[in-house]
Amino acid sequence: MSASSEASNLNAPKDFSGILVKKHLIAFFIDTLLWSYTALVSWKVIYEKVILGLRYPKFDWSQPQTALLVGALIALVLYFTSASLGRAITGLLKRDESKPVMRETYTFLVLFVVFLTFVAGIRISQVSVTEFLSESGLHGAKRIFTALINPNWGIIEDATFAAIETIYMAFIATIVALPMAFVLAFFAARNLMSGSRLTMAIYTTVRFVLNVSRSIEPLVWAIIFSVWVGIGPFAGMLALCLHSVSSLSKLYSEQIENVSNGPIEAMMATGAHPVQVIWFGVVPQIVLPYLSFTIYRWDINVRMATVIGLVGGGGIGTMLMQYQGLAKWNEVGMLVIVIAVIVWLMDWLSSRIREAIK
Amino acid sequence: MILDIKKVNKVYPNGCRALNNVSFNVKKGEFLVIIGLSGSGKSTMLRCLNRLHDVTDGEIVFEGQDITKLKGKAMRNARARIGMIFQHFNLIPRKTVMTNVLSGTLSRTGVFKSILGVYSEEDKKKAQDYIKIVGLEGKENARADNLSGGQQQRVAIARALMQDPKVLLADEPVASLDPATSHSVMQYLKKVNEELGVTIICNLHFLSLVRQYASRVVALKGGQLIYEGNPLDIDENWFKTIYGEEAVEVTIN
Repeated sequence: MSASSEASNLNAPKDFSGILVKKHLIAFFIDTLLWSYTALVSWKVIYEKVILGLRYPKFDWSQPQTALLVGALIALVLYFTSASLGRAITGLLKRDESKPVMRETYTFLVLFVVFLTFVAGIRISQVSVTEFLSESGLHGAKRIFTALINPNWGIIEDATFAAIETIYMAFIATIVALPMAFVLAFFAARNLMSGSRLTMAIYTTVRFVLNVSRSIEPLVWAIIFSVWVGIGPFAGMLALCLHSVSSLSKLYSEQIENVSNGPIEAMMATGAHPVQVIWFGVVPQIVLPYLSFTIYRWDINVRMATVIGLVGGGGIGTMLMQYQGLAKWNEVGMLVIVIAVIVWLMDWLSSRIREAIK
Repeated sequence: MILDIKKVNKVYPNGCRALNNVSFNVKKGEFLVIIGLSGSGKSTMLRCLNRLHDVTDGEIVFEGQDITKLKGKAMRNARARIGMIFQHFNLIPRKTVMTNVLSGTLSRTGVFKSILGVYSEEDKKKAQDYIKIVGLEGKENARADNLSGGQQQRVAIARALMQDPKVLLADEPVASLDPATSHSVMQYLKKVNEELGVTIICNLHFLSLVRQYASRVVALKGGQLIYEGNPLDIDENWFKTIYGEEAVEVTIN
């Protein structure tokens, strides 16, 4: 549109210098971070741990500060050379298009930092081939594997009952989470909430709470709830439920953000109430994806319920934990088989249902 | 006079000026066509008339009432008296023809009743009649998104008629249809205009359709009104003013 291009042309020169300064700051910040990281890792891990072989090198906070200072100095020195990654990323570095990216100086720099991280990573993870292939270790592994492939079929009844408990627990967690996620999703959908400042504030708050509760693992929630309501399936159910609410809300709200605007506009044009606009303009577009997500979530919850059982969330996970603690590997083998069968069944069932309702 | 548009301006939040001091009026019972290039402000103009967009300033007087300042229930009442059909039909996906047509009554059906799908017998009877009028008898329980483009647009017309509209806005109603279907849909609009006495304001691209169906024409260019008059008076010169020097008229039969 001619009017809009005119307007943007008028605004362009005014904003340009500001954007340029911001770009330089970001570029320098990236360079500083990169060099400080390189300095710190080379010094603390490569030099002290690998070369000097120190197990517990001394640490105090002046060391990262020194690294930051060194990094900033190197970044400053190299800022106007072609080794400045920050300028390359922000597009400030005018590069020769005919030269392949792989031959640029900053590419070598990036590869070097990745290599450095790799070396440091091996040292920190205490990777050891001798431990992996030691005689006593191999012997122990062989004993467990032999027991696992000779499962104790005598406990199949108990194992199945525990598995059923797990499936029901996951089902209830999903069903209880569903209506809560359904409602929350509307508040977490940007396109519905961008109307006024108040709704935007609600959107931001809901999103924040959901993100925080989702970033805490269900395992941690299970520990919290097992203290709260006592060890057992209920604690596991609550943990799964909470996590399901936040995950489903996010998936649902993304679905709402992707709906086509046409039916919404049409419903508004009929003079419908906002609730009717959502019910007739939005809901029919999201029902099937919702159903699909929910079934998939149940599937995930069954798998998670097993893990949660390990910390006392009830079901087959708790049973697994008990037998493992007693080193009864034949029983553990039986449980592993039951879990595998359930996970496989749920996976198959949920993909079949999701296929059918597409 | 049913609609009086007085010095309407519309500036989008991104600074784009879509309408620039546009004034014209719409007489009761006429078939008014708005023409202009893409981006000339036609769609924005229509959407300002039923408050899908808010004007930046100016007045839109509909049946003696300025509707630009209305809020809440009053605004929805004004919207209900103005039907609208769209280029991409905008039917509710996965729902039947009947449900789609009944959605035209939402403004007078309570929120809970409509969610439970309880509509008055009178409205159901009326929906049946309108489905018949647009030639879709027997398709009541077919899924709307399985119909052809022309049929979907007719469902949309029936839905708009359920509002008992005084004015029907049509935003490029035939732009995504083939020429034969285009004429059929335009014929239905003409029928609505002549037999039901609904005033129609329609955005169109094709001048041949304009000459055939419009009783009056206004032209927009860059958000400004540049022509108002009889469709048959648009000659070569006016055509080039509206569509630019390089434009060549394309006819559809």
